[in-house]
Amino acid sequence: MKTAPSTQKNTKLDTSYKPKQDYLDRFLKVGFLPITIFFMFIILIPIYILVKVSVSQPVDVLTQHPTFLIHNFTTSHWEKVLSSGNLIPAFSKSFIVATATTILAICIATPASYVISRLPKKIKYVIVLGIFFTKMFPNVGIALPISVKFIRWNLLDTHIGLVLAHLIEQLPFITWILVGTFEVIPVDLEKSAMIDGATRIRALWSIVLPNAAPGLAVAAMFTWLNSWNEFTYALYLSLSTNTLPLQVYYYVNRGGFFPMATYATILMVPVLIVTYALQKYIRSDYLGGAIKG
Amino acid sequence: MQRASKKLAMILVVVMLFTLAVGCGKKTEEGTAKTETRVLNVSMALGESEWEVMKTKVLPKFEADNNVKVQAVQTEAADLITKLEAMNKAGKMEIDIITQDNMQLAQLVDKGLVEDLTEFKSSIPDSILPSLVPVGEFNSKLFFMPYRPNVEIDFYNETKFNEYGLEIPQNWDELLNVAKTFHEKEGLGRVAVKGTLDGNTTVQLYEFIRQAGGDPLVLNDEGSVKAYEYLKELWPYLSPDTARADWNTMNKYLATESVYLGANWPFGVNVIVQEGGKENIKAFGGFAGPVKASKVLGGEVIGIPVGSPNKDLAVKFMEFLMSKEVQEILVTELGWPASRGDAYGEVDEWQKPYFKAVNDALKVAEARPNVIYWDTVDKALNDALREITMEGKDVRETLDKHAKLIEDAKK
Repeated sequence: MKTAPSTQKNTKLDTSYKPKQDYLDRFLKVGFLPITIFFMFIILIPIYILVKVSVSQPVDVLTQHPTFLIHNFTTSHWEKVLSSGNLIPAFSKSFIVATATTILAICIATPASYVISRLPKKIKYVIVLGIFFTKMFPNVGIALPISVKFIRWNLLDTHIGLVLAHLIEQLPFITWILVGTFEVIPVDLEKSAMIDGATRIRALWSIVLPNAAPGLAVAAMFTWLNSWNEFTYALYLSLSTNTLPLQVYYYVNRGGFFPMATYATILMVPVLIVTYALQKYIRSDYLGGAIKG
Repeated sequence: MQRASKKLAMILVVVMLFTLAVGCGKKTEEGTAKTETRVLNVSMALGESEWEVMKTKVLPKFEADNNVKVQAVQTEAADLITKLEAMNKAGKMEIDIITQDNMQLAQLVDKGLVEDLTEFKSSIPDSILPSLVPVGEFNSKLFFMPYRPNVEIDFYNETKFNEYGLEIPQNWDELLNVAKTFHEKEGLGRVAVKGTLDGNTTVQLYEFIRQAGGDPLVLNDEGSVKAYEYLKELWPYLSPDTARADWNTMNKYLATESVYLGANWPFGVNVIVQEGGKENIKAFGGFAGPVKASKVLGGEVIGIPVGSPNKDLAVKFMEFLMSKEVQEILVTELGWPASRGDAYGEVDEWQKPYFKAVNDALKVAEARPNVIYWDTVDKALNDALREITMEGKDVRETLDKHAKLIEDAKK
């Protein structure tokens, strides 16, 4: 009964600001597309240049005024990289390590985060703070002592060694993301499922996890990308086979413009695929229906 | 819901199988290899074409002669120190022998990461260039064996020099004239000195000081003063790229023709000319100062890490790398200058002018002294350059200040 008049009042107030709103609306309507295109352009330009260098002949690139478009297309840099024998081992090492790190991190962090999210507020705060404490140390500072331990355990130049090293870095981060995800899933949903006869585990598998899919997707994506691009531990713990970022670093160090651009493009492709594959799960309205009920 | 459970179960199975595969697969392979033949782990920092020669023409000979497998790994000079440090601390040295940039040796010795090779000094062949041996000595002990001499050469853009009727500079006055001409004609400096104020700049400062007859370890002597006064005069006519020019970016600036004259290590020939197709970028051995011509002797040396599991084999490999046979392969196939006087080779036609430039520069190359206070000298040289050329401070006063810091470090 009380709501109706106040709504009317608000409508009246809004009307008094009409000219300003119209101006803003008009600006957004007119400017949205150009602004979006402008920022897209800014973001895509470096990627385009990278790809362009990898398929251009030196004459297009090594000049005072390089052209924006590709005039002398060549696949020779790609052919050289693909036939060098250095790509497949580095690519597969990076892919295996990033995928294994992601799967293990999700398997470990999901139950941990769920439990933390259901703890009383004060305890939860202390634990989350503790998790963040482990992220306070820069990688370059702790990589040496950790690598020393790993070398002692015969984990030098092994996939599993690198996966474990990446987990050190990734677990606190995705646990934090997932605590936030589970926190917003109402406990009442689980309780309703249990009233309907589901066990706690069943409620977790069938109700909580599907609702946490967007958070899990974000966590998986970040973990995969971070592990894919990781450099410090890869440098310490690789000997005979490099990861792909190390391979790019090698070409940066050797000053080869074209192989460097080609490797960097190759490094980027799986990132695009993973991001595209997981982005469909990232939806802000995922819980809409559940919370309404 | 059932589908979600099935998917999760599948993922778990995959994880377990996967962990099993990655965890166990490799070890078995290594274990089998170790029982069959001995493996010598060699660390080098080479370009792709250099690796090809090493893997097809050099290593197989050693493998056949000694019935071993040489596993060569790529490690950049700066990364090698951290890797060896980690392995050393873990007590599990996985690298048997290294070749390392002679500008980055002090830390290896200081941290106790390399073996004292004094007892093997007699295995240095008589024909090895005598100037290469002291590079590996620290406090009268030999830690590194000579392997590959190297020196910076001066790259120049022949098209632009011809366009403005310029000759390649032979002395400081001509260099200043070239810099002024480019600046005047194009409104922008086109001569670059490596000005990143780190080890890259130190090499060039060292050369300028020696060319003026100064001693970088003293820094406020007449020669050093002359060198810094000259640089102060030259600085306004240098390319804006100078501030970012190091051993890596210098190639880019030369290849993209934003710099027409600049010094860099000879690997730039492969990047700029062979790979980049910029045949108008030529090279010469360098210019002389008011007292003499002088270049810093760079290159690589051979070392054996402390705790090398195959030290006897590493010593054999060290001798093999210094042999006439290997040195001739490196000259012929890669255009590297030989470390011994009796190793001759015929380089490719296109490489000849660059090879000549390297050899010309090597004739006047001097080794940097191996002093434990080198970090102080390095900082003093660069700080003095910044203060004098960029902040416009007085040359003598600035050099006196930094010379005192070096004197203090000597004590």
